[in-house]
Amino acid sequence: MLVLNIQRMSTEDGPGLRTTLFLKGCPLMCCWCHNPESIDLNKHLEWVGVRCIGCKSCLKACKQGALSSNDKNEIVIDQTKCIRCGECVDACPAGALELKGDRKTVQDVFSELMKDRSYWGENGGVTISGGEPLLQSKKVKELLKMFHEKGVHTALDTSGLCSEQAIDDVFPYVSLFLYDLKVIDREKHIRFTGQPNDKILSNYRYLVDKCKSTDKKIWIRTPIIPGATDSDENIMQIANIIKNDDIDKWELCAFNNLCKDKYDRLYQDWVYAGKSLMTKKRMDELLKIAKENGVKNAIWSGMTKLEG
Amino acid sequence: MAKYKDAVKQPGDLSPRVKWLRDYYFEGVKRDWNNEYSAYTTGTPWDIQFDEMTYYIVPEVYSFMSTFTTSVRQAAETIEIPDDFFKKAIPERKAFFTKKAVVEKMPIKILYNDLLCGSNFNLMTSMCLTEKEQKKRDKRLKKARQSMRFIYDHGYGNGGATSGHLIPDYAKIIKYGFKEEYRLLEERYESLTEKEKSSQKGAQIRAMLTACTMPKELGERYSKLCISLAEKEGDEKRKEELLEMARITSKVPWEGASNFWEAIQSLWMTHMLVMSDEKYPGPGVSFGRVDQYLLPYYEESIKQGMSEDFMKEILGCFWVHCNTAYDAQIRVGGNQGITAGFGQLLTLSGLGDDGKDMTNDLTYLILDVIDDMSPILEPKPNVRIHNNTPEKLLDKMVDMISKSQGAPFLINFDERSIAGMLRQGVRGKVEHLINLKNAHEYAPVGCLENTMVGNDRSGTVDNNVNLLKAMELVFGNGKDMLPYFDPMTNKYTKLKQYGPKTGELSSLDTFEKFYEAYAKQTEFIIKKMVENYELSESIRADYNPTPYLSTLVKGCREKALDVTQGGPELNFVTMEAVTFATTVDSLLAVKYLVYDKKECTLEELVDALKANWKGYEILQTKALHKAPKYGRDDDEADALGKRVMDTWSEEVWKYKTKSTGRQFRPGMLSWNYWIGAGYILKASANGRNEAQFLSNAICPSNGADINGPTSNSNSVGKVLGGKQENGDYLDYMNSLPNGASHTITFNSSLVKDSGHKEKFKSFLRGYCKNGGTALQINILDVDVLKDAQAHPQDYRHLLVRITGYNAYFTSVGKELQDEIIARESHRQY
Repeated sequence: MLVLNIQRMSTEDGPGLRTTLFLKGCPLMCCWCHNPESIDLNKHLEWVGVRCIGCKSCLKACKQGALSSNDKNEIVIDQTKCIRCGECVDACPAGALELKGDRKTVQDVFSELMKDRSYWGENGGVTISGGEPLLQSKKVKELLKMFHEKGVHTALDTSGLCSEQAIDDVFPYVSLFLYDLKVIDREKHIRFTGQPNDKILSNYRYLVDKCKSTDKKIWIRTPIIPGATDSDENIMQIANIIKNDDIDKWELCAFNNLCKDKYDRLYQDWVYAGKSLMTKKRMDELLKIAKENGVKNAIWSGMTKLEG
Repeated sequence: MAKYKDAVKQPGDLSPRVKWLRDYYFEGVKRDWNNEYSAYTTGTPWDIQFDEMTYYIVPEVYSFMSTFTTSVRQAAETIEIPDDFFKKAIPERKAFFTKKAVVEKMPIKILYNDLLCGSNFNLMTSMCLTEKEQKKRDKRLKKARQSMRFIYDHGYGNGGATSGHLIPDYAKIIKYGFKEEYRLLEERYESLTEKEKSSQKGAQIRAMLTACTMPKELGERYSKLCISLAEKEGDEKRKEELLEMARITSKVPWEGASNFWEAIQSLWMTHMLVMSDEKYPGPGVSFGRVDQYLLPYYEESIKQGMSEDFMKEILGCFWVHCNTAYDAQIRVGGNQGITAGFGQLLTLSGLGDDGKDMTNDLTYLILDVIDDMSPILEPKPNVRIHNNTPEKLLDKMVDMISKSQGAPFLINFDERSIAGMLRQGVRGKVEHLINLKNAHEYAPVGCLENTMVGNDRSGTVDNNVNLLKAMELVFGNGKDMLPYFDPMTNKYTKLKQYGPKTGELSSLDTFEKFYEAYAKQTEFIIKKMVENYELSESIRADYNPTPYLSTLVKGCREKALDVTQGGPELNFVTMEAVTFATTVDSLLAVKYLVYDKKECTLEELVDALKANWKGYEILQTKALHKAPKYGRDDDEADALGKRVMDTWSEEVWKYKTKSTGRQFRPGMLSWNYWIGAGYILKASANGRNEAQFLSNAICPSNGADINGPTSNSNSVGKVLGGKQENGDYLDYMNSLPNGASHTITFNSSLVKDSGHKEKFKSFLRGYCKNGGTALQINILDVDVLKDAQAHPQDYRHLLVRITGYNAYFTSVGKELQDEIIARESHRQY
């Protein structure tokens, strides 16, 4: 599997204390994405400036001419020339060059995640997230099955953009689905994420029906992004879709701007770089709308603008 | 007021009485009363009071020892001694003199509205020696001091015969009173042969008999004071209180207590006189499992109609009294003498017989008092948890953690700790005293050092060895790698062959050979530490008995031996290892750089260390950031950590003190040495520069635990031995009976609401299974973030977690850093 990161002692990706596996690769390109390094389905090289000691060992190590240094002594990566061989990563004494994405066997990932089993307790467990984990659904199924057999609570964090077959594959081994519903307006969805939402919405219905009369749970998550998903109308529309369904929780996740440096490392401008956080007042208003439109178990989470 | 709102916890809802006393305490030097040392002399021209050996483990005061000795001598008031005083044996003189000072001379005072008697106890009493004895002692002391300076100045560590660090049998006194101990001592004396009576044994028992009457007569003195104050008291309610206090002090601690107030009064007076007897304020003299042995008195008082609020007031007074230990040096230093933790530790909850949890109503009452009184330094609470700890207790604990800057108590983990105690029983051949039936009765002293209760003085802070020194001696083939500065002569020392020759660097051509050399130098430094300790330990045994404390430690009466002479049933002394992670990481770096990756030769690496890495920055960066580290749950790195643990701890078990027959046992506590010794020990192979901090106790090196608290905890559990079928206790293994200090800093968002508190409880339950023996929980400090902003190179692994989103603090840019600092300051998410 192509693993981006393993987050131990994770507190926000499902119930209890968890270990979250982030897989690399995503079919969406949400413009607010706070894990932009997870989108690319291949490995890629990054330079972390704050770690660099300026020894230039990497320039000597690179046989492809993909690295250069600019007048600010920053290392610039030419991603078109980089073949992700990792020579520069080995040569860098400071760990300033990182190859994002690590190919690991399902067994290795399983063993690594199980190291924290003692901390999960009765409620916690593992969450498989991404990127979009169902892009690697065969491997994910294998992995989930292993946890399932050990009696570990499993959560799958999905964008919903996948085949029904992928859902069928993993379904028996997932205890909780964390399902994203971002924007209901089709045009806006295309504009903000690069993809239409028809499949996401039909998969949602497919999953809800499939979960009926099982003990599997669904949490809906909606990132609340200024100017994109934070309209009264959008929240009303989502509420209308889910209000009669057996949804365990609907979480409105306030926009967070902590990932600006990640875009810098990808040499990308981030449209949200200068955006301020949501206010508590606005989050409360949206939550009220969610509840008034029939979703009693809605909550909001995340960081809001510092007041006072 | 702190700059940041909510950054400092405020005390809780205290009663007017306790609030007044607490505030009064913090007035420090402005108080009209204090508990600074009172010094007394026999009046002989050679007499001294201050015992410098008790400070051999406190390097900060080395330069002041002679000053202390002479200034106390100058301040000492003469107590008249009888003509035959010097004809008696030393323990008898000591018991007589201390009693006279306590009962006739030491100031006594009842503080405003206080419910407990026993104000002054910081004493500096005479050594009670003849001129000949004093001269002999001085001569031996000179050697001990030289030895102690050598091992400190050359980076081996420090060591000396230290006071306290035990749990006296307070439960026995509360229940039966000193009267019963007096009777038993009389019986024991009668059982001696005439020859024994006229020998050391007889003298010891006679001294202990005298000591037993000291609290009785002090109690009577306080009782009279209470009566005279009551006579003048206009307020009827207070008058009644004073009369009750007069009644209580005329009864306890001579007789057994029959209710809560009596029990706490008995406990306090018995306890404070230990500090008088040892001439040292609060040195880890600990209370043990108070919620267990005080429970019958709590229940009795509840039955008699005493309110829990009044009990909290009594305990509040007790808290204030404990803190007055710091008055000893009240005029020294910038913080009114409140400079460090003395460690009068109390223990709550924990396992009982048959795996039963022992949490009770009194546990919760005392936790409330801790919550209401904190922040305050003493007494130091320690809560024992285990796999069956009730949810209610964990809820209360996590709630208290969320309100404070750090946990207002240390958490002790029973299964791992009991495994260590049982290992000690086997290794020390005392299974009849520590076994499956009673190991759960253990309790920590000082900070977190596990001991048994009432019969055990394990000298838990007496020896502190820097494991890293052994690496340096390998690099120097048994010599120091570089000359050390000698502050006495102001010169650099010559390089001498102190340690064994373990081979020229070129001959260490495999990592196995290198490790063998390291193991040999470890043998050497531990032997050196043991020899150093013998000097002060044997002086104490010959000249500095504490007969009062001996009445409170089981074994002393039976053996007719003082607690300082090997009297306790459990006769151990502890070697605490400092610099564990620095050493493990340095070995890992040598393996990685020299043998695995061949980045440099061993000679080049040693040149780099001699140059304090100057000119070798790339190599240093590799050592820091490429070599594996302990603390990341990396099985290979942790296996080397376990190997280092086995090497040094097995070496420790080989030794006993010659003079007192105390078996050495291993532990890991670093107090503040990991900071100070960092300036002495040269640059190390893990990439550390000279003068940078070393690693603390069993914690990973600063910044090395990049995979978070669970991986950090797993590594700690693994190096202690992890789990195995048929472990020391259940499937738990533990190489360190003393236990190991482990601190983890968490982001405050982890305990921000009830949902997160549940998750934090999960972590604690997991730590019970995988972690170490004791955990101090700190909450991320705003100052750390600011320092990280200013010095990003030192904090590249500092993770901040905001609503579950992780970011490396140093990489998020100034603007966001400021925002995170502001949020941490206000605890707002």
